[in-house]
Amino acid sequence: MAHTKEILTLAVEIADTMLRSGAEIYRVEDSVIHILEAYGLEDFDVYVLSNGIFASANENREDACSMVRHVPMAATQLNRVVALNQLVRDICDHKCTLPEANLRLQKCRDLSPYSRGITIFACGVVCAAFSLMFGGSMLDGLFSFGIGLLEQLFLLACKKYKVSRFLTTVYTSVIISLLCIFSVITRLPIHYDKLVVGAIMPIVPGIVFTTSIRDFYNEDYLSGSIHLIDALLTALCIAVGVSLPILLFRYLGGFWF
Amino acid sequence: MNYLIQFIVAMTATVAVAILFATPKKELLFCGLSGAISWIVYYVVDEKSGNTVAACLAATFILTVFSRALAVLRKNPATIYLLSGIFTLVPGAGVYYTVYYLISGDRAQFASKGLETFEIALAIVFGIIFGFAIPEALFHRHTHGKQAKRAADSQKL
Repeated sequence: MAHTKEILTLAVEIADTMLRSGAEIYRVEDSVIHILEAYGLEDFDVYVLSNGIFASANENREDACSMVRHVPMAATQLNRVVALNQLVRDICDHKCTLPEANLRLQKCRDLSPYSRGITIFACGVVCAAFSLMFGGSMLDGLFSFGIGLLEQLFLLACKKYKVSRFLTTVYTSVIISLLCIFSVITRLPIHYDKLVVGAIMPIVPGIVFTTSIRDFYNEDYLSGSIHLIDALLTALCIAVGVSLPILLFRYLGGFWF
Repeated sequence: MNYLIQFIVAMTATVAVAILFATPKKELLFCGLSGAISWIVYYVVDEKSGNTVAACLAATFILTVFSRALAVLRKNPATIYLLSGIFTLVPGAGVYYTVYYLISGDRAQFASKGLETFEIALAIVFGIIFGFAIPEALFHRHTHGKQAKRAADSQKL
């Protein structure tokens, strides 16, 4: 029989990594409960928030223990969510002992996103494809692709220098807007709006918004509100960032927006 | 022919989005499929009825159901298919046009675009909710007894 503390630590560590990687609250909470049950704990309580975990086990016994975690929002990394989900399943099927589970957790944490080159290319493809989907021409797609490449480069740089999330969004949208204005200045037949619409896609708060809805659906109202506000603020930041250069160029005069 | 092009472009877009969020290689194709199917539903309904909000509702609903079916088949959380697929429907364009009309001083267009964006967001909300309201058991018809129960248990995770 393993110690309560070790079991709880494992469960909370797994939950921590899941939450960081972008799993929804309900899944995280359920995972902790399943793990604790699988290792034979009976008296426990778990509360998970969008950026915190509270858990306690065997409160009225000698080996009582409790844990609190602060989990700042980080980049979504779905490969970790998938791997951890598999790990939790194996634990529930009693296929995985405690030391093994710890090793596998470490492996899940070491999973990295795609290499820099691939993400930069992918971001270009996202922008180009969305420009085309919203009715842009091939030329719009091509310019969007270029803007997307620069955009991801900038996003990676922001991540490296730990710029705050909202500032990153504002700066990125300013840069997108500027680049789009510069492409229009070339006087090629380019649609400014199609370029911008495609280029803002990678920073649009689609994930947070979806997570928020699912939180509300699972009756996690607090986390749902937090995610919703996050999504709204991000959208606002994009709006401000995109409109600033347009206003500036209009102010400078003689522009055809 | 046009539909085929739309399908392929939407699939490319969704796969690229999935790569940005570090989806495992094995699932990329399925993410692409979920995005492409929801976009085609949106595109067709929008074209036939001219009602963008209804199109969004239908597309999100189909996307959610499809993601859940994939989740059972591929034994993965539905989240990964849903998150990549939703990007084709999120009203990024709506937000941009709303702001554009605001700073252009076109009050009427601003109000109409803003309201439309809000309605699309609501449509997505209800699409997802309706999609999740379908009982889990329906997705497990093909499995029996204990196995089905276990599958349902782990699906909850």
